[in-house]
Amino acid sequence: MGEIISFKNVSFEYRSGENFHRGVIGLNLSINEGEFIAILGHNGSGKSTLSKLINGFLKATFGDISVLGINPSDDRRIYELRSQVGMVFQNPDNQMVATMIEDDLAFGPENLGIPRDEIVERIDWALDVVDMKEHKNKMPNKLSGGQKQRIAIAAILAMRPKILILDESTAMLDPKGRKEVMATIKKLNKEEGLTVILITHYMDEAVEADRVFVLNQGVITVQGTPKEVFKEVRKVKDAGLELPIPSQVCIDLISKGYDIPFVLTDEELVEALVEQKKRINSANKGGLKLNKT
Amino acid sequence: MARDLTLGQYYPVESFVHKLDPRVKFIIMTMYIVGVFLVKHMYGFIVVAAFAILSTLISRVPILSVLKSLKGILFIVIFTAILNVFFHKEGRVYFTIGKLLVTEGGVFFAVKMALRLILLVLGTTLLTYTTTPMALTDGLERLMTPLSWIKIPVHDIAIIMSISLRFIPILMEEVQKIMKAQRARGAEFDKGGLIKRAKALLPILIPLFISAFRRADELALALDARCYNATPNRTRYKKLKFTYRDLIALLSGISYIVLIVAINHRFWIPDLIYSIPFV
Repeated sequence: MGEIISFKNVSFEYRSGENFHRGVIGLNLSINEGEFIAILGHNGSGKSTLSKLINGFLKATFGDISVLGINPSDDRRIYELRSQVGMVFQNPDNQMVATMIEDDLAFGPENLGIPRDEIVERIDWALDVVDMKEHKNKMPNKLSGGQKQRIAIAAILAMRPKILILDESTAMLDPKGRKEVMATIKKLNKEEGLTVILITHYMDEAVEADRVFVLNQGVITVQGTPKEVFKEVRKVKDAGLELPIPSQVCIDLISKGYDIPFVLTDEELVEALVEQKKRINSANKGGLKLNKT
Repeated sequence: MARDLTLGQYYPVESFVHKLDPRVKFIIMTMYIVGVFLVKHMYGFIVVAAFAILSTLISRVPILSVLKSLKGILFIVIFTAILNVFFHKEGRVYFTIGKLLVTEGGVFFAVKMALRLILLVLGTTLLTYTTTPMALTDGLERLMTPLSWIKIPVHDIAIIMSISLRFIPILMEEVQKIMKAQRARGAEFDKGGLIKRAKALLPILIPLFISAFRRADELALALDARCYNATPNRTRYKKLKFTYRDLIALLSGISYIVLIVAINHRFWIPDLIYSIPFV
């Protein structure tokens, strides 16, 4: 698994009149093929800027970016890059070009000049991956938010990208829709080997990633595995973020003097508490005067 | 409101009409419209109406939902009919209201114009009911292809059309949402005179425009993300095939025009029919 995205000292400034707004400052990062990356940050932290730098929607003011060996500032190779780096946005309604689902999926490959027979194959494959096969020749307006967003993902998949960027693609969905989309993303990452970059402000989604970047005012303040990142409670909170609920519960318990390991998910928390309970029980049998319940 | 909207609303059933090549449908639609304007006699209208009704029956779209599209033009139809009755003076005088004469020619003319409007809308509605906006724009694009030789951006025009059709229901829904939100804040949309009502629409239009621009912004990014305009050699997913169905449809379109012209020129049809009054 080689390096697929690299940022070297990348900065980006938004210019509005005479004012400059820092989008991101001095970013250094490296993402490997097949990784599942979550980018966390508050509104205006620069997380969307970061994603738009990857597929050339924005051009870096300073620094070097290389994505699949292509410099996103190179206009001659921009379409080659964008066909490899698919991007899904927040509102599924605003991403659909056609009224019929199959036509919408065909739009990307058509633009790339893919032969028709292959487009047919790609559409079937993409709909199969996102589990929406039976909706092929239907209209999207009767679908739920989660289903629409899966169609939007399929429309990107039809271009056969290597990298999938989801720019707050779960933000507008209800909990059920979020779960569906997350399951699809994980499947794409694990089974199809896509490199996934998920921009989100939901902590429980970030927990599922291989690595997490936390952005605060255009700077990466923490990065690492979810466990490493959320252990840095101070820095995470400084970035205007909350811990995942199980982690918060865990930290509160630790501060009350309980001896349990740091956890990220509900299941881990339950396990840790059961373990703790067993220890107390066995301590009781050892003759200590603690209650059995 | 959104439910009444028929423009760009595709009615998804399988039928002979649905399966026609959109180019053929466009050509037949043009023939139909030409026919509507060629008609001189009432018998001609019977042919036009029969053509419209038969096509609707074959398309398996419920006639009621096609008729619903007339709601929007009802006012125009009645208004023009009234004007025509009073201001077109010709032939025998039926009666007078003050200085206004109601003549045979006037009534005939009014009925003719009303029928024309109604049949026009019925036919075009059937087109949008049986053809997806994508197929419509696709068909139009292919019919317009010769224009691209003189550097007219035919494909861009087609995409603009298809996107506008797609967003009509979405924006209608948005209007409903904004209206609800404003009602919750005490706004009244159906009270007061014309000016007051028009003023009440302003707080709907402004948020609607803002959201439409925001949508347009995101849509533009989404188009770019999917490599719009990446290559001039764009391929097509939809294959348009000219089948026996299209041939049948074209032939019936041609016979429709021939029949109307024949009736106009009184070919074949015995003179007896024309002696019936009101024709």
